[in-house]
Amino acid sequence: MDQVLSWLQDYLGFLFIMLCLGLILFYVTLGRDRPKISLRDIQAFRHFWREVDLAVEAGKRLHISLGRGTINDVPGGAAFIGLTVLDCCARAASNGDRPPMVTTGDGALTILSQDTLQNTYRSLATEQRYDPTNARLTGLTPMAYAAGAMPTIHDENVSANFFAGHFGTEIALLTEAGERSRSLTVAGTDSIPAQAVLYATSDEPLLGEELYAAGAYLGAGQVHLVSLGMQDILRWVLVVVIVLGAILKLLGI
Amino acid sequence: MKKILPITNAIIAVFSGVLVLLGYFFHGVFGGVQSILIGWAIILAAFALLLGILNLAIVHIRKVRLEGKKNIYSLVLLISLFLTMIIATISGPSGSWTLWIFNTFQVPIEISLLAVLAIVLLVAGARLLSRRPKWYTVLFLVTVLLVLLGSVPLFLIGEVTPLTALRSWLSQVPAVAGARGLLLGVALGTIATGLRILMGVDRPYGG
Repeated sequence: MDQVLSWLQDYLGFLFIMLCLGLILFYVTLGRDRPKISLRDIQAFRHFWREVDLAVEAGKRLHISLGRGTINDVPGGAAFIGLTVLDCCARAASNGDRPPMVTTGDGALTILSQDTLQNTYRSLATEQRYDPTNARLTGLTPMAYAAGAMPTIHDENVSANFFAGHFGTEIALLTEAGERSRSLTVAGTDSIPAQAVLYATSDEPLLGEELYAAGAYLGAGQVHLVSLGMQDILRWVLVVVIVLGAILKLLGI
Repeated sequence: MKKILPITNAIIAVFSGVLVLLGYFFHGVFGGVQSILIGWAIILAAFALLLGILNLAIVHIRKVRLEGKKNIYSLVLLISLFLTMIIATISGPSGSWTLWIFNTFQVPIEISLLAVLAIVLLVAGARLLSRRPKWYTVLFLVTVLLVLLGSVPLFLIGEVTPLTALRSWLSQVPAVAGARGLLLGVALGTIATGLRILMGVDRPYGG
């Protein structure tokens, strides 16, 4: 029994990931015969889409900020969501006069964002619109990154900012810049202190897992919707496990 | 070639990702390969950093060329960048001149930005009620106020023990419970993001 428990402890993480993968694949195979998954209304995404349309009409820019999380580490997860947002925004704004701007605080993220922009334009057969300087590294320390990204918000005729990635409390300086330039700020991050700051400073904060739903809400594809379904199921499983654990501890078992 | 390259990129990315993931759980079998791949990733990230700095320089050179004197800050940035690079190359990353630049310019500027941040947060807190006039905004602001009052000795009164105890309870019980709930959501989202990349659905690497 002890051996089984020890084995479980060692490989529980792996089993959990396999369960996630299994659920995604199950939903994908089921997806063709099922009606479309319905999403609850998140005001931030609704407002952002409206602002994208207005930006295209008014000849303004979108600004996507991917934070300063390195992709070699856990914070990179949130930055990958930012890249999905970038892809969706570049597609949506492809009819506009001015392509979106991207700011990052990490060298690898800068290259990935340039690559994402180039691939998006290539898939739309508008590769001539690609300009590598539209994806910029603005600084490598938290404050340098914020100080470097603020002029983009002020000077580049931005109508909406989407902050998606790993940020610290310095994000308040960026949301304040958005407020001063009268542009919409939608922001989500994986950092808890930054989420508290965003609640107070951002027009449309994305709290907790809402950021990770961005792909599904911005129309990034069926697998994004399916993985959202997987997250919902596993969240309930975790809630049940935590409540059961608390009850068992209360009972002294 | 245009079709083969993206597919090759995707195969390499997915295969490397799966090997690194397996290395975390089956260290005996995949640990060696995982270490090699992570080592390569670190080297590539260092080169990516150099390219990022080059990108930063190109952006500001273009600004100076197009806008001239109007963009004095870009000029200052470029001069500072090249001077720092030259001095750090001669003096070394922990040399006295490099440290002098760091302590004389970077540290004071970052600290002053932190001070600005404190004011920005104060103003944002005051503006919050007009931005989002809801009951949980009031709860948020009252909690912030209680934690602030419980964190510092009050003028002429000193430390108020019930406030300190309340602050300690607020930061150790409801705040930790809420943060764990948010972190669970973040963890599930991160797993889903990672799996989409490993499945080759999301390809931010040009696949």
